[in-house]
Amino acid sequence: MGNSGEAMLTVTRARSVLRAGVKALEERKQEINDLNVYPVPDGDTGTNLALTMRGILEAVAQLPEGLSTKELCAAISQAALMGARGNSGVILSQIVRGAMEILGEQVYVTPEVISQALTNATETAYRAVRRPVEGTMLTVLREMAEAAVEAPVGDGRKAFMDHVVTAGWKSVERTPTLLKVLADAGVVDAGGFGLVVILEGAANGSSGWEVPIATHVAPSPAFEGLRYEDEAAEEESEYTYCTSFLLSGWNLDKALLEEEFGRLGDSLLVVGDARQIKVHVHTDDPGTVIGLATARGVLSEIEIDNMKEQTAARTKRLREASGQGVAEDSLTQVVAVVAGEGNKALFRNLGVELIVDGGQSMNPSAEDLIRAVERSTAPAVVILPNNANVIMTAEQTIGLTGRKVYVVPTRTIQAGLSAAVAYDKRNSGDVNAEEMGLALENVAAGEVTRAVRDSLVDGIQVKIDDYIGLIDDHVVVASRDLEAVIDDLAERLLEGEREMLTILLGAGGEDERAREAVERLQQRYPGVEMDVHDGGQPHYPVLLAAE
Amino acid sequence: MIINRETTALVVDSTADLPEYLVKDPNLTMIPLTVYFGDEAFLDWAELEPVEFYDRLSKASELPRTSQPSAGAFLEMYKGLREKYERVYSVHLSSQMSGTCASAEVARSQIDGVKVVDSQLATGGIALLVDRIMERIDRGTTEEELDAYIDRFLRDKIFYFLPTTLDQLYKGGRIGRASHLVGTMLNIKPVLSIEEGVIDVYKKVRGLRQALEVMRDGLVENTRPGTTIYASLSHGLNEPVLGQLRELVETVPDRDIEIRLTSEVGAVIGTYVGPKAVAVCFIQE
Repeated sequence: MGNSGEAMLTVTRARSVLRAGVKALEERKQEINDLNVYPVPDGDTGTNLALTMRGILEAVAQLPEGLSTKELCAAISQAALMGARGNSGVILSQIVRGAMEILGEQVYVTPEVISQALTNATETAYRAVRRPVEGTMLTVLREMAEAAVEAPVGDGRKAFMDHVVTAGWKSVERTPTLLKVLADAGVVDAGGFGLVVILEGAANGSSGWEVPIATHVAPSPAFEGLRYEDEAAEEESEYTYCTSFLLSGWNLDKALLEEEFGRLGDSLLVVGDARQIKVHVHTDDPGTVIGLATARGVLSEIEIDNMKEQTAARTKRLREASGQGVAEDSLTQVVAVVAGEGNKALFRNLGVELIVDGGQSMNPSAEDLIRAVERSTAPAVVILPNNANVIMTAEQTIGLTGRKVYVVPTRTIQAGLSAAVAYDKRNSGDVNAEEMGLALENVAAGEVTRAVRDSLVDGIQVKIDDYIGLIDDHVVVASRDLEAVIDDLAERLLEGEREMLTILLGAGGEDERAREAVERLQQRYPGVEMDVHDGGQPHYPVLLAAE
Repeated sequence: MIINRETTALVVDSTADLPEYLVKDPNLTMIPLTVYFGDEAFLDWAELEPVEFYDRLSKASELPRTSQPSAGAFLEMYKGLREKYERVYSVHLSSQMSGTCASAEVARSQIDGVKVVDSQLATGGIALLVDRIMERIDRGTTEEELDAYIDRFLRDKIFYFLPTTLDQLYKGGRIGRASHLVGTMLNIKPVLSIEEGVIDVYKKVRGLRQALEVMRDGLVENTRPGTTIYASLSHGLNEPVLGQLRELVETVPDRDIEIRLTSEVGAVIGTYVGPKAVAVCFIQE
C-alpha cells in the first residue's frame, strides 16, 4: 500500500466510492431488473439495490467532514438499514453493516482489511436470513470473501480487487447450478449480479485506474437471474411465541446469543452492538430465552406475544355507549403499502389512515415505513406490506420506532384488504395483528399480469406479452387471451366453498376487456357475489381474491 | 318469597318480539311501544305485525320513528297486576337503546312489589330471558334463586345480530360513527353484539356465509363442550338465511343445543336494523 492517504476511509473518500458504486448499479439497473425468475414487472432487484445504495449515498453526502472512521461507518450502517428496499436491499444493508463493523475499527483500508470486511459481511448477511439458500446473493458474497482471503499478497490493491471481482462474476455464473429455479428459467441470480456490479463499480470508479479491473462481458439476454427474495423469505413460523426485548450490558457477545437463541426458535434477529442488542425470536419457550438473556444483561421493552392463540378478543368498548361524534382514541393504526388510487380509497374506507405508496415498481424503504409508523397517533401499528418483496423491509422497522409494530405478512393488495376488514382501531395491537392474520386464512388471492420476457416458469411456457395468472407467486396459467387467464384463475380461486370474489381492475388500459370478462364470469357463477372495483394499480390488469 | 304461577306475573315490552306460546301465557302481559310512519301511529305488534311493517317500510319515503310506553301506562298495568299477584317482574329492552326501562322505573317507584329488569338485550334475546324466567315460575322457585339466575343470564348470555344496514342504528345514536362509516365500499357484513346493553361491532367480515360462521364460532368459543345451551333465533322475515343460521347452530358439536324459540323481528327493532336481519342469543346452563 504505497499511497496510504488514498486508503484512509474519510467522508470524502466514502462519497467517492459510493458514488462510483451507485453509478455502476444505475447503469446496469435494467439489466438486473430483467433477471427475474418470475417475469412479473414489480419489486425489481436492480431498482431496489440502486435505491438502497442511493439512500446510503445521500446520507453520507450530508455528513460533516472530519468525522471519525468509526462514526462514519456507523452512519453508513444506519443509512443502509433505513434505506433498504425490497428483500435484496435488506440483505445488502446487512452486508454493508457487516463490512462497516470491520472498517470502523481500522485506519487504513488494506486488502487484508477488505478481506476481513467481506468475511464479516458474509457472516452478518447469512445470519440475517432465516434460511440461507445457496445460489443467491449470499453465495456470491461468500465466494468473493473466500477469494479475498486466498488472494496472493503483495500485488497491490488493484490486483487484489481484480481477483475478488473476478471470483464474484464466476460465482454469479455458477448460481444456476446451485438453484433449480434459476436453471429452469435459464438465468443467473439478480441479487448476486447486482452485488458484483456494485463492488466492481466502486473499485473502478473511485480508484482512477486507467485500465478497469475485471473486464466482465455483459451477459447475454438469455443470461438472467433470480429474484431471490421470493425464495428465502417466507416461511410460516412453527413456533407459538413472538419474543422480543432490548438487552443492555457490557461486552455482549452477539454470536453467542445468536447461537443460544437460534437453538430455541426461528425468525431470529439479533441486532446491535456490545452494549445494546435488540433480540427478536419466534420460540415455544420464551421463559428460557428471557432467562438466558437476563444472565447477560438488563432487559427492557420485553414483549411476548402469542402468535397462535385464538382468543375471543371480546374487549369491552362501553365508552362508546352513546356513540355519536365521540372522539375515540385509537389503540392501533394500520400502515398499508398500496399501489393505485382506487385501492388506496378502499383501504381508507376500511379505516386505514397511513398509506405508503407502493406503486410503479417501487418498493418502499424501511425509512418510508418508519416515517409512516411515526405519523401514527396510536401506540401500536400494524403494517400490511401487501407484497412479498416488502415483508422483510416491514419487519426491519420492528423496534426502530416509538410504536409497537406488528407485521401481518400480506403478499398481495387483495390479501391486505381482507386483513384490513378485520382491523378495529379500538383493539390493541396484538389483538388486531391476530385477527387480521386470521382473516387471511379465508382468502385465496390471484393476479393477472403480463410477461416481460419469454421464460419457462413453474412448468409453464411463457411468451413475452402473454397474460399470466399467478397464485401464491406461482404462475398457473399463461395465454394471449386475457379472458382465458381470468377465467382460469377464478375457477382455481373459487374451489371449495368460497362465495365471494373481489376484483380490482388495474390502470393498464385493459379494464374494459377485463370488465367484460368479469361480467361473463358473473353469469357462470350465479351463486358467487362479485365485488368489482377500479383499483388503478399499475402492471396488474386484474387482481382477484376469493373468500 | 316463593315465585310461582300463583304469586308472580311478568310484564314484557313489545320489543321482545315474543313467540306465540309466550304471548298466550296467562302470567305474561305485553306492553307495546309505538311506531310512527309520518303522523300515523301504530302500537308495535298490537296494531302492526311484521309482514305489514316490512311492507310499509319498503314503501315509506321516510323512515319510521319509535317511542316508549309512558310511565302512566306502566303504572296502570302494574296496579292491575298487583291486585292479583304479589310480584311483578317487568323485563325490558336495553336501557342503553330505549327509554322504556326509564318509564318502567318511574312507575315502579310509585308502587311496591314490582321489579324492573333491564334485559340489556333486544328482540329474541329478551324473549329467551323471558322463556328462562317463565320456566322457573312454572316449576316454582325462590325470589333469591330467580334474581341470581337473572343476574347470571345478563352476565353470561351472548347475543349476535346481523343487520342489513347500519344507517338507522347510527342515526338513532345506537352505534358509533366509526363503526358506521367503515367498509361501506367493500360491502362488509358487520356482525354486531350487544354487551352490557350496548350495541357494538363484534367482527367485520365479507360475505353472508362468513358472517353466519362468525356467529356460530362465537357460540363455540363462549361455551364449553358437554353443556346444555339454550338459544333463540330471530329474523326480519328472512327464512332462507334463518335456515342457514339454524343449521349452523344446531350442528355445533359436543353440546346439547336446545333452540327454545324463533321470533320475528317486529316493527320497533326492525326500524333500526332494517329488513331481513337475523340474530342469535344463547346461554349455557
